[in-house]
Amino acid sequence: MSSLAMPVLILLSLALIAPLVILLRQSLTGEGGQLTLANYAALVTSPAYRRALLNSVLIAVSSTALALALCLPVAIYIERSVSRYRNALAVALTIPLSLPGIVIGFFVILLFGLTGIVPQIFLLITGERQFNFAYTFWGMLLGYLYFQIPRAVLVLRGAVSALSQDVIDVSRTLGATPWRVYLDVILPALSPALLNAASVSLATAFGAFGTAATLSRGFRVLPLEIASLFTESFQVERAAGLSIALTCLTVAVLFGLGRAGERAQR
Amino acid sequence: MTTLPDSAYGSQANVSARREQRRQAPNPIMAIGRGFTWFAVLLCLAPMPLLLVVATTANWPLGFWAGGFTLGWLREGWATVHPYALFSLRLALTVLAIDLAVGLPAAWLIARHAFPGRQALLALINVPLAVPGIAIALALILAYPLARASGLLLIAGQVVYTLPFLVATLAPALAQPALIEREAVARTLGASAMQRLLYITLPAIRSALLAALILVFTLSMGEFNVSFFLFTPLNKTLPIELYSAYITNRVEVAAAITLIFLAFVVPAAIAIERLGGSKIGQA
Repeated sequence: MSSLAMPVLILLSLALIAPLVILLRQSLTGEGGQLTLANYAALVTSPAYRRALLNSVLIAVSSTALALALCLPVAIYIERSVSRYRNALAVALTIPLSLPGIVIGFFVILLFGLTGIVPQIFLLITGERQFNFAYTFWGMLLGYLYFQIPRAVLVLRGAVSALSQDVIDVSRTLGATPWRVYLDVILPALSPALLNAASVSLATAFGAFGTAATLSRGFRVLPLEIASLFTESFQVERAAGLSIALTCLTVAVLFGLGRAGERAQR
Repeated sequence: MTTLPDSAYGSQANVSARREQRRQAPNPIMAIGRGFTWFAVLLCLAPMPLLLVVATTANWPLGFWAGGFTLGWLREGWATVHPYALFSLRLALTVLAIDLAVGLPAAWLIARHAFPGRQALLALINVPLAVPGIAIALALILAYPLARASGLLLIAGQVVYTLPFLVATLAPALAQPALIEREAVARTLGASAMQRLLYITLPAIRSALLAALILVFTLSMGEFNVSFFLFTPLNKTLPIELYSAYITNRVEVAAAITLIFLAFVVPAAIAIERLGGSKIGQA
């Protein structure tokens, strides 16, 4: 039995554990080789990194809120509808899962870039390019939303399929408005799944690099700062510190919201 | 003509009455759901036909099919990227083989045995789900700076990143009680371990296995965050080449290359969904 675990243990200790330990050690090393926390303190003391951290949180939280608000009705519709397009819609909403972040960024450029389709159409009609926001915060927000939609739908669909239709029907029959049904029936019953979907969306957004690298012109997020520290200025220790900090942030979100979801279930 | 009991008519009538009711008084919750769903699908799919239009337009910045329809960009795109597409294919197959050799025994252990440390093993395999791709890549490059040129780090990074998905797809299939029972019966009838694996286990888990293989293949073909730090000019993947096209090339060529990339990935994604194996990866 233990011989079956050997390959995976050897592989992961060499290719995951040892490298992460070395990353941690580098992050605690100063320029002279001494032990230091300066690489972490930079997140607070350096205006650029503080900005990047705040930007990361800002775009992750706002795209997650949008994704949940959009995907909850979607999950309910896909699980409950008798429409013959149901399966096709479900498949269509999983396709973005297999797209890398860079491709998603390019999609935003095709839609809202300077020569994107929407600005082109406006140019034809009004003679002026409008909505060419691909390279701003709003373009990045759309890209983040794009990769969060399939993730949120997948998590929420599972929970909706376990939710009793009778509860919704009964409250509708008793005269509850749709708004009340959402607030008083659906939201409380699905709150564990919503927390779960939020943790997946936030974690994905914190780590997202491809979308940001393709779209960012000035709106810097942490993964971009890590990449440029490593490839441009070769400050390995600083890059390691920011990487570990980003990892801790992601793990904290996954565990914190996961724990909250479990509590909501009880 | 035989007569059916009244209750049969009754339930039939009930169902159609309910359907009728639904048609007459559209449920606002479903109406909101339908609107949002079509919006989300439109958002997700609209870029694909657009990609086709841009890739076949001679001069896109001037508008739809400005300068005429052309396959030139697709030809140019393929000429640029085919070495990288082939490299990515080879890499994906290598990653697949290693994942299977390491992940199948691990999935088996996790599905079949209650041993101390089982949770820890599962948690260890799942660590890469919580670590951003660029952190994994940076860690690998700091640990083995000399191995980068060989391309080994690229393989290692992608194996580590895809392994949780393989194990999460295979373990539930291996844990089915009916399968365990059939293996036990085969054993009492004298089948060897190899015979049981080949004739009982593998056929029983074939759709999960297929889903897992396609999933790892797709994830590897599209991987960017881990590969970005680990590639070298000799070991360059298709997504890395896509990225440089986005940054430097004209939009028509970028669209053409993306179209070529999607031809590898989208059919696989649809196959995974049909096999019931959608999983959540990094972006």
